[in-house]
Amino acid sequence: MEFANFPYLSAILFSCVVGLLVILVIPAERKMLIKWVSLVFSGIPMVLSIYLFFAYDKAQGGLQFVEKVLWVDSMGIYYFNAADGFNLPMLMLTGIVLFTGVLTMWELELRVKEFFAFTFLLVAGVFGVFMSMDLFFIFVWYDVSLFPMYPLIAIWGSTRKEYGAMKLTIYLLAGSALILPAILYLFVNSGLNTFDIVALMQPGVFTPFQQKFAFILLYLGFGILAGVWPFHTWSPVGHVAAPTSVSMIHAGVLMKLGAFGVLRVAIFLCPEGWQYWAQLMAVLATCGIVYGAFVGLAQTDLKYVIGYSSVSHMGIVGLGLATVTVDGLNGAVFQMFAHGVMTALLFSSVGYIYEKTHTKMIPELGGMSKIMPVASGYFILAALAGIGVPCLASFWAELLVFIAAFKTYPVRGALAICALVVGALFMLRVVQRTFYGEKNEQFAHLPDLTFGPGIPRMILAAVIVLFGLFPSVMLDVIQVASVPFINGLP
Amino acid sequence: MMNLWTLFIPELYCLLMAVVFFGLAMSATPNPRRDYFAALFMAGVGVVVALASVRLEGTLFFEAYRVDLFSQVFKVMLAMGFFLVVCLCTELNGIEERHHPEFYLFLSTCTLAMMLLVSSGELLTIYVALELSSYSLYILVPLRRGDGIDVEAGIKYLMVGACASAVMLFGLSYIFGVTHTTYLVEIIQVLPSVIGTPAAIVGLLLMLCGFFFKLAVFPFHFWAPDVYQGAANQVTAYIATASKVAAVAIIMRVVALSGGNSKYLVDVLVTLSIASMTLGNLVAIVQKDMKRLLAYSSISHAGYVLIGILSMSASGYASAIFYALAYLVMNLCCFLVVVKVAHDGSDLKIAQLAGLHRRSPLLAMALMLAVFGLAGIPPTIGFTGKFLVFAAAMEKGYVTLVIIAMINATISLYYYILVVKAAYLMESDEELPVLPVSIPTKVLTVVLVTVMVVFGVFPHHLLEVARAAARALM
Repeated sequence: MEFANFPYLSAILFSCVVGLLVILVIPAERKMLIKWVSLVFSGIPMVLSIYLFFAYDKAQGGLQFVEKVLWVDSMGIYYFNAADGFNLPMLMLTGIVLFTGVLTMWELELRVKEFFAFTFLLVAGVFGVFMSMDLFFIFVWYDVSLFPMYPLIAIWGSTRKEYGAMKLTIYLLAGSALILPAILYLFVNSGLNTFDIVALMQPGVFTPFQQKFAFILLYLGFGILAGVWPFHTWSPVGHVAAPTSVSMIHAGVLMKLGAFGVLRVAIFLCPEGWQYWAQLMAVLATCGIVYGAFVGLAQTDLKYVIGYSSVSHMGIVGLGLATVTVDGLNGAVFQMFAHGVMTALLFSSVGYIYEKTHTKMIPELGGMSKIMPVASGYFILAALAGIGVPCLASFWAELLVFIAAFKTYPVRGALAICALVVGALFMLRVVQRTFYGEKNEQFAHLPDLTFGPGIPRMILAAVIVLFGLFPSVMLDVIQVASVPFINGLP
Repeated sequence: MMNLWTLFIPELYCLLMAVVFFGLAMSATPNPRRDYFAALFMAGVGVVVALASVRLEGTLFFEAYRVDLFSQVFKVMLAMGFFLVVCLCTELNGIEERHHPEFYLFLSTCTLAMMLLVSSGELLTIYVALELSSYSLYILVPLRRGDGIDVEAGIKYLMVGACASAVMLFGLSYIFGVTHTTYLVEIIQVLPSVIGTPAAIVGLLLMLCGFFFKLAVFPFHFWAPDVYQGAANQVTAYIATASKVAAVAIIMRVVALSGGNSKYLVDVLVTLSIASMTLGNLVAIVQKDMKRLLAYSSISHAGYVLIGILSMSASGYASAIFYALAYLVMNLCCFLVVVKVAHDGSDLKIAQLAGLHRRSPLLAMALMLAVFGLAGIPPTIGFTGKFLVFAAAMEKGYVTLVIIAMINATISLYYYILVVKAAYLMESDEELPVLPVSIPTKVLTVVLVTVMVVFGVFPHHLLEVARAAARALM
């Protein structure tokens, strides 16, 4: 059947690239046209990625929607895209966050053309990393997704934006300085002259020593982007400085890129290195969970609060990966998805409040739920999801990780659970101070979120509730990839 | 006899250009437009001639001159570099009008000398060619209209260059003493067997010094920042691109002489490479002048390209050739912006790039891509070049070297980002007018940007050419 061979994954990628080129051609004055073009070209990847998620044949499993073209003959580089249970949730997440991010920036007036051009470049890189099965292309897309962050934050950001942008860019590209040697090391030592991950992940290609050496480089390199403690310090600063939609894409999607890189490159290619370093991963992840929760307690800036909660939640992903179990992997991937949607909603709500009140300091706000009940509602919903309230998506993810962690590492698991209580405390405190109590008369006249601008928040909230009520929709897909992978470990 | 001379056509053509400009220099009234269009036309034809002769092979002048794919590929690069530099000369305000024919004359002789250099198969030919190119540049550097900084730069260049030449001659005498011949084809048969002896290794290293001076490798880099700043922008563009490419070629030829099994040579090259990268990148951070920044960045890039050469394998040489081409394109793109923004021929401070995104979005984008390319960020040709170089080094097991080089690449990112920041973020204090960018300049910019991105994403064909050229070398 001809339609079965339609290159869906490339279509997602090309929709971003074509969107970028179209925007470059439109004159900068036609702002409305640029926004509509962006909306269309961000809608296509979202629809396609959701379609792929549900079209994936779970009974058959393995890699599907495969596209493979030989790219550079002499070095065995392939343009190789495929979907499996690990990357489908990530692709869907990216689609949703991109689309809602574009909608969130609908009011933007400053240098519109460049903003959307950089956004599409960034997202093309993100999609590329998630769908690629070739080491060379993973690295290329990874770097492509990083460097647009600099102009995006430095031009359209707030609060110490130049410092935040520079710090973030240097940190993340320093990570890639560890990744490239590791990739080349694996390429050269495999003796297969290929960058194809499927060929390289066959058992026996690398010796245990090679796996241990490459794994730690890859883990640290990708871990910087995943906000692994103690390399997380760029993350809160960068998130605070970034404009709303960039924070959404960055915290929602880009940090997942780091965790996904650990999974797809480090864990796939160096499973023995993974088992060897798992103890260290668990320690760093636990530190991140505890540290993020406690530092978050002391923050007075709403965006810093979300930034540190991200560090804490990404620690949960790291802890899941460190357990080396099916439940841990399932939980980690589910948490990446759930946290992505939840953080996007948090940043999106804060963005609205900041846009109206021009402040994101908690002491200056207060009683916002009386002034903006709808906008506050979205924030509170997302905050509750972050705490892990049942029937919201994060609950299942955190539950799975903690069950797995408690079995494998009782002490660290227990510590992490305690930190979760602190995390809940600090989130609730923020909600109470910002949205309840005495309302600030200064902001009393401000309008609430109306239907139109509320659409992106509605989509995100719906996704959180949907996957909270029906977690099996997500878990069944991840399971298809994680069970055979864990069973195939040496 | 006739067909032997066809081998020599690109060089003869350069000589013809030199003669033509010698004639133009005789005319009493200066006519910059005539000179410019004559140069543009002849340089354009020069690229075609070089491309047409790319498949030629053979030897000339009692085997002292080798024409092979390796030399011809580099001649194409040199002709392209020359043509692109001439393209930047629409407003040659840095040099007095009556000197314009001389400017083109010495560019032609310098290109001629470099073409001779990449084909030389004999030590004395190498020396003569190298000196001819150096002397052309010694004259070009102080040609700038200005306040004396050009003269200082010219003298500095001459002094360092003369020292490097002397050291190199000394090295040549050692090589001759050890091998009893000046022909490279004979040296390559004798030298690998005696490479363990101190005389051979010292001779080879001293000989390399002359070329390290050209490439501005540590510790022969002192001239670079002052000469870059002191020379007219177009001359700097030429020194930064074509001259570097020729140096890469000849260093490869000489290093290939060792046969690839000298641990001492590799150790020395590794040391120089690391020193060049680190010094160039660290000092570049504090620069305020765009050309000085590019000078220090060129020192660090000399370090990266040495990594490919010191791998001493086919893939290593191929990666260095690819890197040289990538560097040529990226650097020319940077200088295009420098020349256009400082159109009165003055030096360009980084702060003067402020507001470029508004004054000329196209130039700002080109600068951003070129600078990120120099930093080694995909999807540009600069990334692909670094990737190939590092892959070649990794094949030889130089893990530490690759990690050090990557850390250096991260450091370099900081000052490259400062340039992007100036162009995209800063606003100038006074309202600056929109930069007038002519249609040909726009076309040139778009072509350079396209080449940078397209060959970064589809390196396959270019890589095959580089590999074939590297095979011809070995």
